[in-house]
Amino acid sequence: MAEVEIGAVSKAFGKTQAVVDLSLTIGDGEFVALLGPTGAGKTTTLRLVAGLEAPDSGSVRIDGRDVTSDAPADRDVAFVFQQYSLYPHLTVFENMAFALRAPTRRLPEAEIRARVEQVARLLHIEAKLHSKATQLSGGQMQRVAIGRALVRSPSIYLMDEPLSSLDAKLRGEMRLELKRIQIDLGATILYVTHDQTEAMTMASRIGVMEAGRLMQIGTPREIYENPVNAYVAARLGQPMINLLPAGLFAGAPSTAKTIGARTEHLAITRNGGDVSATVTRVEHLGDQSHLHLDLGGQPVVTLAESETTLDVGDVVSLRLNKPLFFDATGRRVAA
Amino acid sequence: MNDLSTSSQITYRAVPIRPGVIRRIRGLSDQALAWLFITPTIVLLLAINIFPLVWTIYLSFTNYRANRPNAPTLWLGTDWYQSILTDPDIWAAMQVTAHFVVWTVLIETVLGFGLAFLIDKKFRGHGLWTTIILLPMMLSPAVVGNFWTFLYQPQIGLFNYVVAFFTGRGASSFQMLGDVTLSPWAIVIVDAWMWTPYVMLICLAGLRSIPDYIYEAAEVDRASNWRQFWSITLPMALPFIMLAVLFRGIENFKMFDMVNLLTGGGPGSTTEVASITLKRAAFESWRTGYSSAFAIILFVTVFGLANIYVKALNRVKSR
Repeated sequence: MAEVEIGAVSKAFGKTQAVVDLSLTIGDGEFVALLGPTGAGKTTTLRLVAGLEAPDSGSVRIDGRDVTSDAPADRDVAFVFQQYSLYPHLTVFENMAFALRAPTRRLPEAEIRARVEQVARLLHIEAKLHSKATQLSGGQMQRVAIGRALVRSPSIYLMDEPLSSLDAKLRGEMRLELKRIQIDLGATILYVTHDQTEAMTMASRIGVMEAGRLMQIGTPREIYENPVNAYVAARLGQPMINLLPAGLFAGAPSTAKTIGARTEHLAITRNGGDVSATVTRVEHLGDQSHLHLDLGGQPVVTLAESETTLDVGDVVSLRLNKPLFFDATGRRVAA
Repeated sequence: MNDLSTSSQITYRAVPIRPGVIRRIRGLSDQALAWLFITPTIVLLLAINIFPLVWTIYLSFTNYRANRPNAPTLWLGTDWYQSILTDPDIWAAMQVTAHFVVWTVLIETVLGFGLAFLIDKKFRGHGLWTTIILLPMMLSPAVVGNFWTFLYQPQIGLFNYVVAFFTGRGASSFQMLGDVTLSPWAIVIVDAWMWTPYVMLICLAGLRSIPDYIYEAAEVDRASNWRQFWSITLPMALPFIMLAVLFRGIENFKMFDMVNLLTGGGPGSTTEVASITLKRAAFESWRTGYSSAFAIILFVTVFGLANIYVKALNRVKSR
């Protein structure tokens, strides 16, 4: 494992700027997640680190060595692709052993066997080792794809939405397993996802990307509590942060144009709050309820207790509790 | 009894619309409509495929001659089959055919796959090159046969000129179509020239079906180009290559037009493939019964070989 340093990297495809002046250092043993919507440049960043794309400018350093112009094979990275990318005509064992059998490694067959079997146990696919890759279910294929990376001990694991094609239950399980494996191995991982839960639960740091730029990088807590702008604030939190005109509530700083109110910033009472709002919809999700409100024409979504007695048409009173403020350009303003 | 049937009739009628009624369009049921559509095809198939086949099988057991339709027809049993299978001339023709099939398919597969592999690299102008390479395949075999006869001309032929230019021997010192050892190769060259593009096209489809990310994964896994070729490209394109081999193999087993135009089976019988022998027996000697038996033997041979091959192909595909 090693430290990976991305230095002011830019990459354009034709007229599209995929990655713009991105700098990021992934510490040894760190799990960094890049979070952003489709087309934000997350995957391109990952491919630049892997060497599958060459940057237009900037540099990539792995373990202090400049690898910017090195081929993928010379970078000592492992890549888990979003599509399973298994070799369909090989068995699970052969798939996982493929990288270990590279002539440059010269590993004895017994050691290859030992490593593949160890990783297979870790991923609970030891019973499938001699099946063809095409005979597996989606979840199993993805485990093999991850296993192919894990049998190696590269400087860094690069993972491109490895769980996105799994169903919700399996995704939850794999999330826990992947985090456990990362801690066990002390692995350095750069992980791309558009799923905020994956980023929040697994990453030691999250980098939020938008239009090729890294908007903010920090621990999940920092990103959630101290977003630098309204965009980052909107990436995390369920239900999504409510962005309301500053004029709706008294007490906003003079430069603030928008108030960002997460569910924990909103206190709901029957009366005695600052402003009143009408309940337009109640979504019961079992353990909690989403409350849709109409606040002077502005829709607001917040959480309510699962056994809430509020119903459509009820008028409630709202009070803000240390919300976030943003200026006209969306930048954060101190309260 | 009468009461019961009446009441059941009433219940039956009480069902709002019978499903059969919905399916009926202008008096035609689904079934009738289906028959209406497939009948012309079936009739054609029976008339030009099945009937001639059955008729040929019948004729192969008789001494029927098409140029003497009024002569009495005798039932000969399996006489023709016995005499064909023990005839050394027939076995010579079969050997010529096998030589032709093996070499054309081998050359076309190696060259075709090689070209497809190069074209797949998507270099500048690969689209133009694809079109140029495909041109021979689009020509009529009759045209190809005719102009290769000119190319092979010892005095004015371009082929002889080019060979002379590169080897230094006289252009008129050899005859591609008139020489006993050269003429089988002359035909192999023309067939390879014409049909390599076809194999390339099928192989190209196979190569294009391999997703890029498999190569990217292999690259990250430190697989050399050589190893990527042997462990990804070739196994994943193999079903396509095998399909091309099947098509070319069947096609060349019954090769007729080009050989007929270029050499007509000569010199001697050095290029007399089975189909030429068959044509001579059927339409020069008018031995209809005999040639029917030979045709059936060829048919069974191709059919059997193709079947074995398709089984192998399916095994490769299911891997």
